[in-house]
Amino acid sequence: MSDTLVAHRPAISGWTLLKWAIALCAVVVAVFPIWWMVNVVFAPPGEPVSINPRLYPTSLGAGLEKIRVILAETDYLRAYYISLAYSLLTIGGVLLIGSMAAFEFALFDFPGKRLIFGVVMLSLMVPTAVTIVPTYLLTAKLGWLNTMQGLVVPGLASAFGLFMLVQFMKTLPREMLEAARLDGATHFQLYLYFALPLSRNALVTLAILTFMRTWGNFTWPLIVAPNPQIYTVGQVVGLFNSPYSHQTVDVVMTANLLAALPPLIFFLIFQRKIVEGIAMSGSKG
Amino acid sequence: MAELEIAHVSKSFGDIEVLRDVNLQISSGEFVVFVGPSGCGKSTLLRMISGLEPVGRGEIRLDGAVINEVDPAQRGVAMVFQSYALYPHMSAFDNIAFSLKLARRPKPTIAEKVANAAGILRLEKLLARRPGALSGGQKQRVAIGRAIVREPKVFLFDEPLSNLDAELRVQMRAELMQLHDRLATTMIYVTHDQVEAMTLADKMVVMNGGVVQQCGRPLDLYDDPDNMFVAGFIGSPRMNFVKAAVIGRGPDNIALEGPGIGRMTLPFRGFDAATGTVHLGIRPQHVGLHVGDRDNAVVWTGRLAFAEELGDVTYVHGDLPSGERLVLRSSGGRYAGARDLAAVIDPKQVLLFDESGARLRPAIQ
Repeated sequence: MSDTLVAHRPAISGWTLLKWAIALCAVVVAVFPIWWMVNVVFAPPGEPVSINPRLYPTSLGAGLEKIRVILAETDYLRAYYISLAYSLLTIGGVLLIGSMAAFEFALFDFPGKRLIFGVVMLSLMVPTAVTIVPTYLLTAKLGWLNTMQGLVVPGLASAFGLFMLVQFMKTLPREMLEAARLDGATHFQLYLYFALPLSRNALVTLAILTFMRTWGNFTWPLIVAPNPQIYTVGQVVGLFNSPYSHQTVDVVMTANLLAALPPLIFFLIFQRKIVEGIAMSGSKG
Repeated sequence: MAELEIAHVSKSFGDIEVLRDVNLQISSGEFVVFVGPSGCGKSTLLRMISGLEPVGRGEIRLDGAVINEVDPAQRGVAMVFQSYALYPHMSAFDNIAFSLKLARRPKPTIAEKVANAAGILRLEKLLARRPGALSGGQKQRVAIGRAIVREPKVFLFDEPLSNLDAELRVQMRAELMQLHDRLATTMIYVTHDQVEAMTLADKMVVMNGGVVQQCGRPLDLYDDPDNMFVAGFIGSPRMNFVKAAVIGRGPDNIALEGPGIGRMTLPFRGFDAATGTVHLGIRPQHVGLHVGDRDNAVVWTGRLAFAEELGDVTYVHGDLPSGERLVLRSSGGRYAGARDLAAVIDPKQVLLFDESGARLRPAIQ
């Protein structure tokens, strides 16, 4: 009996083994630095690089102490606050502006629609390096250097976000919007009650991508906000790593770990939301 | 209760004219069915009444007032869509209550109206469910409930049953008839299914190519069609058409000859001498198998193509010598594999059409 069962099991070929081996190598390459970071933080100073290194964390207390030192003795907390505000405001703005624009582009016709959309999409092909100087000059002219709006506003227009949301909203059933119009919904109510909730998955995805982009953004905060009062986490971590920094490796690693945590948490929370989805079967089929 | 008037309405999409000079008078409380093949403009006409499609030329009047420019929500019409068009992220209750919520009606009123509609449509136990958890028939009932709570002057149905299976369609059809009796509101219903149209309609509007072909009570259209299109569209299997030349005219009859039918005489008073060629139309139930020797019978002969045996009736499909298809209805009897067909027709039931397809009616005595 067991013979027949065994016979049905797919044979493990050399090719399968090779694929798994390559995949495992990729995982090691991706995960090891993060693991090493955790290992260095949660160990007594020097231990991971000693003659007899440990590849696993040995001391929770040592790690917590390092975190306490960083939060208490540096401006890390303020940078956290700035980065968080910068990211959340950007997300809010990108989602609001992107969804409103996408609503119009995807579901309604207006003169010059194709041209305008084409121009916006063209901007996807222009690298940031080309636009960064004019954007800086404009921001400076507005007197927004070293301000939160200087950080946030230039990042609000997201051509990629618009493109993504337009593609998504194009799939909303037109008859449903017509039914809502007959039910008395105004133009804005169509946006509020239908376009927004039914695009939730796309909006969450865009929010995650925007968070990753803003939290990890180094160049723009560096040039538009040189005042230490408004340093983001990226810049502060940069200071820890700078050549004249007197911090030891484990403290630098702690700073890195603290910087990596929010995107990780953000992703873990919202990844579940994406999977959850919402029932999208109000129409036929 | 409302009277709807459609006056000289036309509509084009670019160069394509989808509706041409449509004129209709719909009385209060009438159940009107627009029926026609795909692309005949029936849905466009319905959408123009709803306000979702701007009127090209002409006027649409509701209770005497022109509503061409009135916002869809303010027209007093409610529409049920083919795809149901429910709001997937809202429960059945919220779907039905949505228009009332937008109108800022007090909560107890909303609850009462939704409960009332749910009672009519037997939806009470399903109100908490989202559309994704409802079957096709239930979704359609929610969509109808959404229309009912608005207490519209006119209900518009755009092929509402075409996504349902055959059995459910029959059931929903009966429910719609009861709903109309109960609400006694004007209802306009679009379908391409002539059975649906025949069973539901007080008044049936047959459309083709953007033009109203004929409008009237279903059986009037069935018995007395204005043209070949209406004659062929209504009735299943469709009416047989055979071409013939007029070879003689008497005061009370005409003599015809055609490759499919040989020579025959038809009773017809006051035939127009200018007409040389006609189309004969006869329904399958007025054609029978020729059995025995009835001397005076008009018999058409041809080759038998196949027989559809449905139990109570058998439809025999044959080809006349001219190549024209002839379907006849035979009740009872089993097909024994015969290849030759002799069909006996009832000359009194033959309708005549001229070459353009328009009906030729005998002069009234």
